[in-house]
Amino acid sequence: MKNGIEELAYNWITANAKNVDASDYYCQTRDNFDVKLRAMINLFKKHINENNAYIISAIAGEIGNNSFDHNIGNWRDVMGVFFAAEISDKEIKICLADRGQGVFKTLKKVKPELKNDVEALKTAFTEKISGRAPENRGNGLKFVKENIKNKKMKLTFISGSAQAELNNEMEITKINKNIKGCLAIIKYKQYAN
Amino acid sequence: MQIKLVKFGEVLISRPAGREAFLAMSAYLTKGLKKDEKITIDFKGVKVLAPSWADEVITKLAKEFKSIKLINAKNETVQQTLKTLREYSNLKI
Repeated sequence: MKNGIEELAYNWITANAKNVDASDYYCQTRDNFDVKLRAMINLFKKHINENNAYIISAIAGEIGNNSFDHNIGNWRDVMGVFFAAEISDKEIKICLADRGQGVFKTLKKVKPELKNDVEALKTAFTEKISGRAPENRGNGLKFVKENIKNKKMKLTFISGSAQAELNNEMEITKINKNIKGCLAIIKYKQYAN
Repeated sequence: MQIKLVKFGEVLISRPAGREAFLAMSAYLTKGLKKDEKITIDFKGVKVLAPSWADEVITKLAKEFKSIKLINAKNETVQQTLKTLREYSNLKI
């Protein structure tokens, strides 16, 4: 992981539970996350096209709220999410992480034939399915995928030992790590459009 | 009946918030209306609409009422969210 908020997010999600940092980037509840998301929208609006700021915020909102939707009452240890955004001359970067159950364990309940993290991530981004069946859900990550592509952004989404890289295409690979929970990194360079 | 979504906020994100909005609509705006009542959903002033919120409101309104019209829906997040709901939540409007 690189320096900056990526490294902070990685450290946050992999730390021993008793050492998890409750810094400014930590949102224990959905309300905390909502406040920080609105602050991020106001920050981005000063730097990029307003419509693009709203789309990026909707993407971050879907990923962050997914963490709460699928782990409420069932966090592994520390409840809530890590949420940080930074803006430089070259790039906007957003990092989200949760110490929840992860995609595989969540989806396995409703799709028992899933064999591993890679299959689970592929299912999450391509099929209409929700870990909260029978509730009729499961459209958030499809929205994320579509708009990452439309806006020429890049999303790295890691859960367990699977990593999805999304931009114009989607590639899901097995990695030599085991990230318990979910870690998402959004990058956006197209300031002008 | 016209429903101005901006009265529920400019940033409409998350299922719990959408569910709460729908319950409030059901109690104060759409209660007692016939299934064939014409419902106009006005997006004017909405800056961010995410599919989770919209699925709890727009999809449910569309299931409850036969005649729904969407107005002032040019915001890109609104357009993209409606596209997602049409594709994955069987939204027919």
